Amino acid sequence: MLAIDVSDLRKQFKVQKNREGLKGALKDLFKREHTEVAAVKDISFQIPQGEICGYIGENGAGKSTTIKMLTGILVPTSGKILVNGYVPYKEREEFVRGIGVVFGQRSQLWWDIGVIESFRLLRKVYRVSEADFRARLDELVETLQLQELLNRPVRKLSLGQRMRCELVAALLHQPSILFLDEPTIGLDIVVKTEIREFLKKLNREHGTTILLTTHDLQDIEALCSRVIMLDDGRIIYDGGLDELKDRWGKGREVQFQFNDPVAIADLSRLTEGLEVRWSKENELTAKVWIPRELNVSEVLSRVVGTKDISDIKIFETNTDEIVREIYQSGSAAAPVGSVSP
Amino acid sequence: MTSAYFDLIRIRFLMMLAYRVNYYSGIIIYAINIGAYYFTWKAIYGNAQTLAGFTVDQMTTYVAVSWMARAFYFNNLDREIANDIRDGSVAVQMTRPYNYLLVKMMQGFGEGLFRLTLFMFPGMVVVSLIFPVELPTDPLRWVLFFVMIWFSFLINSQLNILTGLFAFFVENNEGLMRMKRVAVDLLSGVVIPVAFFPFWARTVLEWTPFPAITYLPSSVFTGRMAGAEAWQALLVQAVWFAVLIVPILVMWRASRRRLFVQGG
Amino acid sequence: MSASKWAYNLSLFREYLGNYIKTRLTYRADFWVEVLSDLLFSAMNLVFIFVVFGHTPSLAGWSEAEVVFVYGYFMIPFGVFGTFFNLWNFSERYIVKGEMDRVLTRPAHSLVQIMLENVDPASLIGSLVGLAIMGSAWATLGLPFDWYDPLALLAMVIGSVLIYAGLYTALAAISFYSDAPTGIVPLMFNIQNYGRYPIQIYNKGIRFLLTWVLPFAFVGVYPASFFLDRHGDLEMSLLTPAVGVVVFAFGLFVWNRGVKRYRGAGS
Repeated sequence: MLAIDVSDLRKQFKVQKNREGLKGALKDLFKREHTEVAAVKDISFQIPQGEICGYIGENGAGKSTTIKMLTGILVPTSGKILVNGYVPYKEREEFVRGIGVVFGQRSQLWWDIGVIESFRLLRKVYRVSEADFRARLDELVETLQLQELLNRPVRKLSLGQRMRCELVAALLHQPSILFLDEPTIGLDIVVKTEIREFLKKLNREHGTTILLTTHDLQDIEALCSRVIMLDDGRIIYDGGLDELKDRWGKGREVQFQFNDPVAIADLSRLTEGLEVRWSKENELTAKVWIPRELNVSEVLSRVVGTKDISDIKIFETNTDEIVREIYQSGSAAAPVGSVSP
Repeated sequence: MTSAYFDLIRIRFLMMLAYRVNYYSGIIIYAINIGAYYFTWKAIYGNAQTLAGFTVDQMTTYVAVSWMARAFYFNNLDREIANDIRDGSVAVQMTRPYNYLLVKMMQGFGEGLFRLTLFMFPGMVVVSLIFPVELPTDPLRWVLFFVMIWFSFLINSQLNILTGLFAFFVENNEGLMRMKRVAVDLLSGVVIPVAFFPFWARTVLEWTPFPAITYLPSSVFTGRMAGAEAWQALLVQAVWFAVLIVPILVMWRASRRRLFVQGG
Repeated sequence: MSASKWAYNLSLFREYLGNYIKTRLTYRADFWVEVLSDLLFSAMNLVFIFVVFGHTPSLAGWSEAEVVFVYGYFMIPFGVFGTFFNLWNFSERYIVKGEMDRVLTRPAHSLVQIMLENVDPASLIGSLVGLAIMGSAWATLGLPFDWYDPLALLAMVIGSVLIYAGLYTALAAISFYSDAPTGIVPLMFNIQNYGRYPIQIYNKGIRFLLTWVLPFAFVGVYPASFFLDRHGDLEMSLLTPAVGVVVFAFGLFVWNRGVKRYRGAGS
């Protein structure tokens, strides 16, 4: 069954034009001019239940607008959305009972009082029974190790502690879909890892569908089996992370550590006939770039047999670079062309 | 540097222009206020010709001009400063190469200029058409009045800055700010001219800066104070302006110390 | 709204109130400053009345005690209103800072949530003071006390609260349409004052305005005159609850429209 089903979704905003200077401002006082701006341009995608999907794109690409439509905050201009079997904007109050939302930069907790008080309040808001609430809370507190924090006011929590509490707050009512908007923003690496582990566990044990937007591609690599990439309101890539790497990773790099000093010319001769590029790091270290079409082993066999080697490292192009590359070229369609995910 | 401050005035002026709902509703509400007080005072006068030395016509003019002056000197600097302090952006502001308080003053002045030109002038024309307002004929009185409401702006802004800075020392100065607003409206003479207060209250008020905000300029405008008395009123304003600089500097110093010690 | 929905909202209210009290206990000094400033605000209006009556024995035929009586009445609904509709910083907090998004991801009506998140029982002290002022003016005027007076008072107060609630809900909802940061709420604060003085002092235009457009006369002088036999205007007094229902329905309508607009559904 599909958790999220979106087709031809579009959102346009009316944007005020502010005319320049004093004269313009005076004119604006009496007559305003507006322009229509499309933030999301007829996108379609489906997410099956139990999937963790990363939703990435640059600022202003339309990520937040999409999330807001999926969570029932915004009403789309046109197109269809079905989340959890509901049309989010239609039966909002009924619908939101089945989803959890965390906005990374905004708190949903009561600022001045113990975290537990906020949780109790949310129990009431979502009409969770006391027994369910207890069981759920215990489980979450256990996995996220919040025992000591429960009675502390939110303003006295560190960002990492707060984010863990935000997750609990969003999950108390056992939502089957969790929306995360920049869940790891501003957190240190340890907390990031903890949160990723927690989300994986949640997905594994409860089958919770997770859709997250992020700028941190480590999040994507750690969590997502699938990425949807957005640029200027359009989906430019939708598919597995591995495929993305396969298609966009232009090749690999192998670094050799030799026991004796070597010369580039020497090495190039060894791999004659192959489309590779050598570069020297220092006296004993050299790197070779191997295009994707070529087998790494072919290069290795030629070098290993003749030279005395102490160490070999293989570098895969990382997601970061791939994504940067895609944005620079403007479209993911260009080099792939015929292949579809 | 000076040009940067002028730019602040200009920017705030343009900002005010951008919010047109505020503009239109402001006009309506000031008009209603003047109207309502006009009728209240008419009822208070009943058949009496003068009360506390004000004739009915002087009173009408007083009400109109006081509200118009309020449009000029009124600002929310206290709230803005308190918000800056609470969300910590004041620390950032202090790293900039300008004087934070002066910046706030300039912004308040931009707001005041906006209201003066687009609010007070058209408003005054409308009001003098509807109500029997007596405008002074002596050009000197006009000049004096504008100098005086400039001081009103300064003194009122100084009080706002003082109240706003309290946010450094208490967790929440919302109540204090509200009290200040109420006190200014009541004691400065917008709602009741100071002359109407009982003698003892008048004596106390003379030792506060409040009458300098509305009562003095409006009295000069209506001709209740003239000649030497008018110049004396201006002097009182100038003295209050100078006197209020002292607590502001003291508080500002203490605030900075607090900021550096506690890190905001 | 169905009965279960009422029960649900009521239980939410209990919970939010609990959190409010816990918050307040952390900032006790603020609580008293707030109460004090509320009372000072009322005191200012009373001072106005006293100063004015220092110069005239009556205002359009109303004596000092009668005007004070009206003011005392006014404070009661105003306090109740202040408790539940503490929407002064709605625009700043929910629109500019974006908390509205969070509200819209929760399964309760948006206005109910926002009312409850800002509940402010400190204002109720103003109601109590108002009741005391009204009581003492009642005694000064030697008004008769009928068995139905408390019930009438309750009905009037509910009506007046609904009028306030409706007007200010509509006003807060303007933030959905306009990007004004400070809003017009503080300015509006002035207009409501005029419903507290005998409506007879105003000219027709303002009287009409205060009765049918921004019916602030129904939060002060009309309902209070029910108890002041000399000025009794039974029709207008009895209209108070009805006007309350209408104005509140209007406010709710504007709010719902505003939320719809915020979510970008047509416009």
